[in-house]
Amino acid sequence: MMMFQPQQELKKRGQIKTPMNPILSLTLQADLRYVRVASLTACNVAKIFADFNCDAADISEFCHAYELAVSEAFTNSVRHAQPSQPETQVTVRISSEHRTLAVCIIDANPPFNPVTQAPDINSYPEGGYGLFLIHQLMDTVYYARENNTNTLTMIKQAKMTYTENTWTINPG
Amino acid sequence: MNISENNVNNYTILSLQGILNASSAPKLKTYIAGIPEEQSLIIDLENVEFLDSSGLGALVGIARKKKTSNTIMRLARMNERVKKVFEITQAYTLFDIYDDVSAAAGA
Repeated sequence: MMMFQPQQELKKRGQIKTPMNPILSLTLQADLRYVRVASLTACNVAKIFADFNCDAADISEFCHAYELAVSEAFTNSVRHAQPSQPETQVTVRISSEHRTLAVCIIDANPPFNPVTQAPDINSYPEGGYGLFLIHQLMDTVYYARENNTNTLTMIKQAKMTYTENTWTINPG
Repeated sequence: MNISENNVNNYTILSLQGILNASSAPKLKTYIAGIPEEQSLIIDLENVEFLDSSGLGALVGIARKKKTSNTIMRLARMNERVKKVFEITQAYTLFDIYDDVSAAAGA
């Protein structure tokens, strides 16, 4: 199982690369009524992305992964919003690069410990599944705390089995 | 999310329709709270379009109460998207799951 690690540390070691092409930034009120807006938006962007970058058989699962992961992350952001700040917002930011799609969930809540482990299912827990699910659904998940904001970045690479034809111009 | 109820063979069958997430899970909990604790229950999930861990948590909470009161609770007709959440979390181990409602009510 992959572990969460500070973004800066992973970047330093060159283990991750955040996709650079911005697709969408959506800021919503931190309210559970808007969870579905966030998750469906991510799902729909993933669908458009997957149509070009994913094997047809995998598109549905690829999109569901984003729908579910964003539902979990947005719900966590709303639940940890400070009641003393009624105007709290959560931003969903989506970007891509080649076959990689990244969704960031950004909030101004207090920092949290992103390390997670599988819930003890035999104790019938009603909560504590969210980060675990995100971790299982995505290829890479990392957390950054910068300028009093939390950014949870969820990255997944689309799978395409055929090899693209590429033209190489030989300068010689 | 919509909840419809009917009764077969002494089971109360709740058919859920729509989205079961943090926004709608309280509605399910409130509805269940109005059903007598000793009543055997089947929850039909065929028309649940989307379920996340908040929806799962609500179902697990109901299962825990039913287990404590030694009452039957069964799930029926999970679609693939719902099944995925149960598989990742291994929550399927907590429930009796049936492919159709009549089997759940007759077993």
